[in-house]
Amino acid sequence: MKQVALSIDDLREAVLRMPDDALMATREAALANLDEHGLPSVRDEDWKYTDLGPAIDISNRWLANGATITTTSNDLLADAIAAIAGAIDANWLIIANGVIDTSRFDESSGIEVQRFSESAAPFVMDRPLADLNAALLNDGLRVQIHAATEKPLGILIIDETNAGAAVSQANVEIEIAPGCDAEVIEYQSSTGTGDHFGNSVITLQIGQAAIASYVRIQNRRIGHVQSGRLCATPGRDARLNMASYDLGGGLVRNDVDIDLGEPGADVVFNGLYLAGDGQHIDNHTRVDHRVGPASSSQEYRGILNGRCRCVWNGKAIVHAGADGTDANQANHNLLLSEHAEIDAKPELEIYADDVKCSHGTTVGQLDETALFYLRTRGLDKRQATQLLTHAFAADLVGRAPVAAAIDEITSLVESRLADLIQEEA
Amino acid sequence: MLEINNLKSRVGDSDILRGLSLSVNAGEVHAIMGPNGSGKSTLAQVIAGHEDYVVTGGDVQYQGKDLLDLKPEERAREGIFLGFQYPVEIPGVNNAYLLKAAVNAKRKHQGLGEVDAFEFLKLAREKMAALGMDPKFLNRGVNEGFSGGEKKRNEILQMAMLEPSLAILDETDSGLDIDALKAVAQGVNTLRGPDRAIILITHYQRLLDYIEPDFVHVLSEGRIIRSGDKTLALELEEKGYEWVREAASA
Ligand SMILES: Nc1ncnc2c1ncn2[C@@H]1O[C@H](COP(=O)(O)OP(=O)(O)O)[C@@H](O)[C@H]1O
Ligand SMILES: [Mg+2]
Repeated sequence: MKQVALSIDDLREAVLRMPDDALMATREAALANLDEHGLPSVRDEDWKYTDLGPAIDISNRWLANGATITTTSNDLLADAIAAIAGAIDANWLIIANGVIDTSRFDESSGIEVQRFSESAAPFVMDRPLADLNAALLNDGLRVQIHAATEKPLGILIIDETNAGAAVSQANVEIEIAPGCDAEVIEYQSSTGTGDHFGNSVITLQIGQAAIASYVRIQNRRIGHVQSGRLCATPGRDARLNMASYDLGGGLVRNDVDIDLGEPGADVVFNGLYLAGDGQHIDNHTRVDHRVGPASSSQEYRGILNGRCRCVWNGKAIVHAGADGTDANQANHNLLLSEHAEIDAKPELEIYADDVKCSHGTTVGQLDETALFYLRTRGLDKRQATQLLTHAFAADLVGRAPVAAAIDEITSLVESRLADLIQEEA
Repeated sequence: MLEINNLKSRVGDSDILRGLSLSVNAGEVHAIMGPNGSGKSTLAQVIAGHEDYVVTGGDVQYQGKDLLDLKPEERAREGIFLGFQYPVEIPGVNNAYLLKAAVNAKRKHQGLGEVDAFEFLKLAREKMAALGMDPKFLNRGVNEGFSGGEKKRNEILQMAMLEPSLAILDETDSGLDIDALKAVAQGVNTLRGPDRAIILITHYQRLLDYIEPDFVHVLSEGRIIRSGDKTLALELEEKGYEWVREAASA
């Protein structure tokens, strides 16, 4: 099985057609990296279960077709943006089809925003998908949160493709000042009947003793492709409390990389993925414990129905000298169909002595005893299944660390579960 | 109301019920007693519709319908309630939510609209007070972290809210202290009426001091080997099950 390669010549042409701005040198460097290494294939250990084929196919078709960025705003997109902004009261920075839109951003909030094109500072470009992001990046956002704000910062990455294939890149760097208490919502969404591949890189730098509460919502159109990367670097005594919700998308790959280079950091990150027919959701997490004491704890849960596949790969590396590390990983899955597949893999690499690490993964079906009990109370099988799956998910919904997002997450999870259980009946 | 005729049931490879017949009319309270493993819970599970208990013979009529044709939820909506010997804990499913969903499922089946949320809560609180249950149990997960006695009271609460035509209580009395036993008995006695029937599965005569049965049956090895009135329970307590078994085989 040979994976199609990215058309590098078309890519080069596309890059050369981009505006000759401050980002050009970076784009060219990224292009050279891609030319040398290409995109990962299933032969790479980290990509064993996830074939980027569909992403490459969409990219190639889009590149061959002139690699146009849809900048014209239209009603469908505007409506989708309005609906999300209406559902979550946040201070929104929008990246629509890869184009930055600050029209819903309130500058008086005290949050400082710059574009990459205005400042030549380097940004993350350490692996092929980040190179692709850099090579095709129209512009990126550098956001500084100096003090707690009334509304959370919202990053809405939204795409609309109505015909053929399209690709878009989003790149946001968020810096949270020392001692600051910040709330951030990352919301990825897409509409339209065309094929789409969205590729994002977000970095989160958390200052000393700062507290970051971060929610990620991925509700792309079923069938659309997403690669989303989040790199967090908490400073000394900083806290990161994060929760991710994957509800849509076709092929989805999320990478969460947390680099603990300062002592005293405390990181909690949880995730929920709901997958049905045709979906492939891959969550790869990696925590580098470079110093101690520091703690990281993650719990991902999945509900899978129909013909779908999910991957959870949780890597924790406790580097030499990182004594006082406390790392916990848990992954629990509910498989409602015999065609649903989960690859769950905890990976602990420990090179220090004084560490506390634990991991646990479970894969199970619905509790038949509970199902029967509910049916003897008059609930039909679908209703009972919904209640039980809902209960499984509710715990993680309740752990969303940004209050402004909870209602939206609750309603998205409820409606997605209702769809999933419908599929079973 | 309920006509069980020569019922045979198997779980896994073993035949548990081996030709059980029982007739229960509206207004009656029946007690089913018998040693451990005689098939009492199996009977209850078969009536409630558990799929693991395969019916291999006989038939069951309930209010003129073929009961074995109905799904568990249809049986419940038609007015059958099983109080489980071991109520299951369902973390994350709110107790009040389940109660209301159960009541509404039955109402919908009867062509009625949903209960008024306020009225429902008021009624639930009243029933809980009568059962000596703290109203905070409404907002817990179903049976989550409940003690044995609390679980049994919760079963009775569900029964009281659902007002079944046929209630089967599987050892609802075991593990209860005397106050809980009295509360449960009062719940059952409140339900008692000319249109309803109750089957009490129990180990002990003790419960029957508080709920007076019209009939007492002894179940042994999957069959009813003796039936009588409430004095049979007293006799059993005095002489033990061996006595009935010997009498039956003589
Ligand atoms: N789910 C089951 N799987 C296997 N055997 C069972 C199951 N349920 C009951 N049995 C067996 O059936 C017999 C009757 O059990 P049960 O109906 O629970 O008796 P009782 O309630 O009278 O104590 C016992 O021998 C028991 O081991
Ligand atoms: Mg029993």
